[in-house]
Amino acid sequence: MYSKVTTAVICGLESLSVSVEADVSNGLPMFEMVGFLSAEVKEAKERVRTALRNCGYQLPAKRITINLSPADVRKSGSGFDLPIAVAILAALEVVDIKMLHNTLVLGEISLDGSILPMKGVLPMTAKALEEGMTKCIIPKQNENEAALIPGITIWAVENIKELISYLNGKNYERKADINIEETQIKNITPDFAEINGHRTVRRACEVAVAGMHNFLMIGPPGSGKTMIAKRIPGILPPMTEKEQLEVSKIYSICGMLPKNGGLVQERPFRSPHHTISPNGLSGGGSIPKPGEISLAHLGVLFLDELPEFKKTTLEILRQPMEDKQICLVRQSGTYCYPSDFMLVAAMNPCKCGYFPDRSRCNCRDTQIEAYLGKISRPLMDRIDICVETPVICYEELTGKEKNESSAEIRERIMKAFERQKQRFCGTNIRYNSQIPSGSIEKYCKLDTKQKKFMKKIFQSMELSARGYYKILKTARTIADLENSEEIQQKHLNEAVCYRMIDKKYWE
Amino acid sequence: MYKWQYQYWLQSVTGIKNKTKQKLVEYCGGAEEVFFIKEKQLASIYGILPEEVQAIAESRKIWDFQKQTEIFLESGISMVTIEEEAFPERLRYLTDCPYALFYKGNYPKNTERTVAIVGARACSSYGRAMALEIGEALSACGVSVISGMASGIDSFGHWGAIKGDGKTYAVLGCGADVCYPRGGRQLYERILEKGGIISEYLPGTAPVKWQFPARNRLISAFSDVVIVIEAKEKSGSLITADFALEQGKDIYAVPGRVDDVPSYGCNALIHQGAGIILSVKELISDLNLDMDKTSVEKEKRKKLLEKEELMVYSCFGLHTKNLEDLVQMTGLSASELSDVIVRLQMKGFLEEPFKNHYRKK
Repeated sequence: MYSKVTTAVICGLESLSVSVEADVSNGLPMFEMVGFLSAEVKEAKERVRTALRNCGYQLPAKRITINLSPADVRKSGSGFDLPIAVAILAALEVVDIKMLHNTLVLGEISLDGSILPMKGVLPMTAKALEEGMTKCIIPKQNENEAALIPGITIWAVENIKELISYLNGKNYERKADINIEETQIKNITPDFAEINGHRTVRRACEVAVAGMHNFLMIGPPGSGKTMIAKRIPGILPPMTEKEQLEVSKIYSICGMLPKNGGLVQERPFRSPHHTISPNGLSGGGSIPKPGEISLAHLGVLFLDELPEFKKTTLEILRQPMEDKQICLVRQSGTYCYPSDFMLVAAMNPCKCGYFPDRSRCNCRDTQIEAYLGKISRPLMDRIDICVETPVICYEELTGKEKNESSAEIRERIMKAFERQKQRFCGTNIRYNSQIPSGSIEKYCKLDTKQKKFMKKIFQSMELSARGYYKILKTARTIADLENSEEIQQKHLNEAVCYRMIDKKYWE
Repeated sequence: MYKWQYQYWLQSVTGIKNKTKQKLVEYCGGAEEVFFIKEKQLASIYGILPEEVQAIAESRKIWDFQKQTEIFLESGISMVTIEEEAFPERLRYLTDCPYALFYKGNYPKNTERTVAIVGARACSSYGRAMALEIGEALSACGVSVISGMASGIDSFGHWGAIKGDGKTYAVLGCGADVCYPRGGRQLYERILEKGGIISEYLPGTAPVKWQFPARNRLISAFSDVVIVIEAKEKSGSLITADFALEQGKDIYAVPGRVDDVPSYGCNALIHQGAGIILSVKELISDLNLDMDKTSVEKEKRKKLLEKEELMVYSCFGLHTKNLEDLVQMTGLSASELSDVIVRLQMKGFLEEPFKNHYRKK
């Protein structure tokens, strides 16, 4: 007797449907599984046999063959237990095979027959809908995740016995209605209103977020770099539904979706510790999992104490920052993950951290150069906005002056986002920071006087071509924040002020 | 064999005092005679110690004239000994005067007016600005600047002199052909354009710690006046000041704020009676030099500034200010301020020594 059940495997960010075929025939009693299986899938054999027996279905002393096809794709992950079990039950004619037509089955099972949650349900369900499936059988705990995809019937089941009864004609009833809006707990991000002083850094931060420019803060320890960075999520504009789905897929693969269900609604803010390995940042493993740069997709990647990161780790950032995606090549195939993030970095100006305050800093020039030199020139070239975070004096620190709240800043930023959306309508550019150098002339028009000014700046500040374009892009964002169509002289001036730290410290 | 080959050997002998070398030459009549004098006779000279006789005997044994001559000629360095007329008069009466000097380029002439600019290696931007300004003003008045080419104040003193289109000399604590610190290669070349690199150590001598305080005595000896800019409580620059005091030179110090660690040594010098530098202008007139016209021009240009620019510019004194300080002082918003700052920067009124730190130019 033969049966076939459809399930799926995650390949990078995409899901690939896999059919599980079961055949029960006469012959020497054995349980054979084939189809390029990884260790955890091979182990499914024991789990399935025991779980079925514990549910009251003793496997007959027959030859049972399971095949997972296509045979050239490596099957890994824990979600194959349930489809294998269901396929066997169908082949034994315990359940009605017709009920499994156009149905995606996913789930891990434990020995007592209960069905355990698994990773990647969201992209798998989305893919199933695309391929014309009508029903998904998934673990109960993944119900919220799959419910995000409208237009497909979801059977969220808790154990095998329950599933068998449904497959044999019992009407499926959804146990409890989930209200996504209610279940989603809003992350409480700290507010910019709590930051006293630091007016320049606040402003620079606003400009950086408004154009998703990469942002670097240099300052002595305790000057508030991390504090400011932690408040950035609060001023990031919300994601569109399409963007939310894009990010949620990545989080689903990593099993990092919020427990209570729903899409990832807030832009991600990732701040890996500086001991992170290159693979942790880029994504790794023989079947690569997304790394921090992909988890920060459409959000912020915050690297605190930038020079403390290993050089090899940092250099990884270069290519994904340009391409907005990372392609990891492994023996089993090429896996591409998106990595369109805004880099926020913080660092000290020297080893002791107090340069240029010479009454506290005793570092020699060569030491300072060596410290700053830990960040390579190419990486520095990718940073658009750089400011110093000074130590705030006591009066400022304890000042009672009311500071602007994150909500007010966010409102301005959203307007600037809107302008950018209109400007780049019909192109693949999302923000000002992504304007390619070829289109600079088109989007950042300057009049003759301004061109002359920029020429003077270019020569006197010894800018590189990249540095020059970065000033123009930043000026574009500043103009957007002021709702101005043209870039004005004052916008250029402000952008010049935020340019990257001078070359002499980077050689 | 030439005379200078023996002189070169005599300078190379370590383990005997400079004073003794002079005495030997006087007694024997020249370096060549010192090389060939018998040990017994050497020991009989009054005031020469047995270990010094030993040192000379040792070095005579191992000295390879051919090899050493090659090394010396290849280095392209010149030598002048105390036996010669050309030896700098200023050094001749130094208690610990070296027997010979090595130099690349030139060394200061007897009639040349010279000022030493010395100070901390880890200098603040204030110190850096002062060193550059004083160096430039002095060299514009035709005074040569002497220093030690160390990073920090020394280097900026040299650079100031180069900017002022004057002569500048560096006295090194290593061989004159060794560029130390290594990063100072550019400065090394620029100093040679008009001035020179001077050392009492043989060509190729590596920089060793104890040699640096010793060369400080030469820096002060070569100069008429010693200016100290930024020295911490315990600083090599204060050694130079001590030497200058011993040698009866004038000492000037640039004052700093009381709580500025890098200025403590300078303030202490002033406390002890060193001359205070009230302004570069005052210094120039103290030294009876002609002031040039640059600062007058600056005053004139100031009239071209707009109201806001003038307001921001007036916040600047001698010290560096960062953006946050200025926001507080002027009450302008961060974006307005950065606009004004860049305007001032482009007009040549301000410069940016470090990211977002600004200073009067």
